[in-house]
Amino acid sequence: MENTEKKKNHNKTAGLIALLVAAVIAIALFGFSCVSGLTPIGWSGGVESNGVLYVGSLEGRLVTIDLIDESRQWAEPLKYPEQSGLFGCSAASACGGGTSRVPVYATPAVSGNLCYIAGYNGKIYAYNTTNLATRWIFPREGYLEALVGGMVIEQGKLYIGCSDGVIYALNSETGDILYQYKTEDKIWGTPTLADNTLYIGSFDKNLYALDADDLTLKWTFTAEGSIFTKPLVENGTVYIGSFDRYLYALNAIDGTLKWKYMADNWFWSQPVIVDGTLYAGCLDGFVYVLDPATGTEVAQPVNLKSALASTPVIYENYIIFAVHEGFVYKIDLDTLEPLLIASFESTLDGPLTLHEGVVYLQTNDAVLQRIDTSTGALLPPIYLTTQ
Amino acid sequence: MNVWELIIQQPLTNVLIVVAHFFGDNFGVAIILLTILVNLALLPLTLSQIRSSKRMQDLQPKLAEIQKKYGKDRQKLAQEQMKIYKESGIKPAGCLLPMIIQMPVWFALYQSIMLALAAVPEGLLNLARYLYPWPVVFSSLPLNPYFLGMNLAQPNFILAILVGASMWIQQKMSATPTDDPRSAASSQMMTWMMPLLFAFLALSFPSGLSLYWIASSLIRIILQYRVTGWGTLRRKASTGQSGKKYVTFESEDAKKTTAKPKPKDEVIITDKESLEKSRKKPSRFSKFFEGRDDDEQSGE
Repeated sequence: MENTEKKKNHNKTAGLIALLVAAVIAIALFGFSCVSGLTPIGWSGGVESNGVLYVGSLEGRLVTIDLIDESRQWAEPLKYPEQSGLFGCSAASACGGGTSRVPVYATPAVSGNLCYIAGYNGKIYAYNTTNLATRWIFPREGYLEALVGGMVIEQGKLYIGCSDGVIYALNSETGDILYQYKTEDKIWGTPTLADNTLYIGSFDKNLYALDADDLTLKWTFTAEGSIFTKPLVENGTVYIGSFDRYLYALNAIDGTLKWKYMADNWFWSQPVIVDGTLYAGCLDGFVYVLDPATGTEVAQPVNLKSALASTPVIYENYIIFAVHEGFVYKIDLDTLEPLLIASFESTLDGPLTLHEGVVYLQTNDAVLQRIDTSTGALLPPIYLTTQ
Repeated sequence: MNVWELIIQQPLTNVLIVVAHFFGDNFGVAIILLTILVNLALLPLTLSQIRSSKRMQDLQPKLAEIQKKYGKDRQKLAQEQMKIYKESGIKPAGCLLPMIIQMPVWFALYQSIMLALAAVPEGLLNLARYLYPWPVVFSSLPLNPYFLGMNLAQPNFILAILVGASMWIQQKMSATPTDDPRSAASSQMMTWMMPLLFAFLALSFPSGLSLYWIASSLIRIILQYRVTGWGTLRRKASTGQSGKKYVTFESEDAKKTTAKPKPKDEVIITDKESLEKSRKKPSRFSKFFEGRDDDEQSGE
């Protein structure tokens, strides 16, 4: 009788403990699941070269798609350093996600017979375009900090900014480091090269203009907020958005301010200029239509009702935007009327790619979606995963 | 943005960013300060919870007695228990209710910390939609994640250890002392399980969260000390080698020396003379806690 009671008490205690532990785990999981953006996922766009599309897949590897026969080819998956942290957590992965998959944010680049990809693991990889065999890896030993921004390749040099705050210039054929320039904070933006000058923004709130030959400083412009946007350079003017909510227009020669325009949130994506009008998507959900010479509004902003992080593309008389909540719009440049052409159950923050009237974008399920811009028809998707 | 985000999460996130800005872009200091602020706001609830728990603890001998007496008659046992609760003015849910009320605030606080950390690109992008249109907020981002040389966006082993240690002390202080070996075993298990679990979580998440857990535990330890003293933490230490290093306050010998209530600050007494002295001249530390007895009385 006494034994039965003892057993009952033990069971009760064990039950209570199990309940409490389950509650703590549930609380932790609930809390973290409510905060999105803890795990790096990636949002690589695509680049087309000779009828082949190069994309950094969410699986963490370079994928090529022949746009004629839709055949695919995969490079080796990118890797994190082995045994880089307790419980398999890598320093670069920011943990929480508990994944060994390397996110890819940078859009791949192609030059000659080489294609390049930069991973969040802090490595840059160069592959042969024909068979995706590895040509070189930078750095050969060890890892840089996370690489988020894309790269630009010109005259045998590859330029890229890193989370360690350094802008690297590498020999694009060998991966040897040629020059580097240190900024005061991390760089997540993609550089722009124009007139032998490399323009790149840093989280230290500066836009840097560097000589492309040797990365010597030409000038800097200090904004009131960090700079993520890829600069747009046109007609001697550099257009750059900042986290201070301003879009700046600067003289490309000396970095002096021409004008600035304030919105309600960050300018994250690169603006575009079409037919003498500047279109700038903002995280406040509006597309601002400005005079590129003066920064004055030439039309009412177009409200797309969701954050615009994705770089737009231009096709015929339309500018095409993808918004964070998964909708794709085309805006008629004459009427500025937005027309919804596609929607996905996925966030859309990566850049769009346009080739022969078809827009390519990668959704969160690692699927390459294709939209015919003329009709708005969704073409059969292409799966970027190996399985 | 849903109601939860609009009313709780968004304001907390923006306050966190502003506090960080005014303390030299130091996110670690901002986490600690906001944890203190939130604790101050929740102080009445927390104290009420601790006092209710203490009163429940004080009733344990009586409850154990009637358990022995009416253990087989469940109905009678329940009646007697309710009678004791009623006589003592205790509501059994009294220690749970404040905890439940506080839970959403804790969720919001650590959600805000994780949001403001914006350790990964998606996090930074996500953060943009929570920002108030204050120039100071926009110009402060992204926040500097370094605090005392540690990157708060990455897991940190030292902070994880501190999470476990501070939580263990807190658990130990609030554990119910009991003579029943079964209850003692389960209490002991909980004292270890919670800190280990949180230390494990701390190793898997950005250490900004660890800093918040440590700050919370320390505040909780101070409050617990103010209401109940060192609890089982002190008792355990004192029963180890009594006579050589410590006087056991519960021992008959110690009880004879004075009728005054035992001091609850951390003073290690090695002999009876020192014990006498320490009671005549209260330390600065104990003066700081002079309101303790009043609080206890008012709560009962």
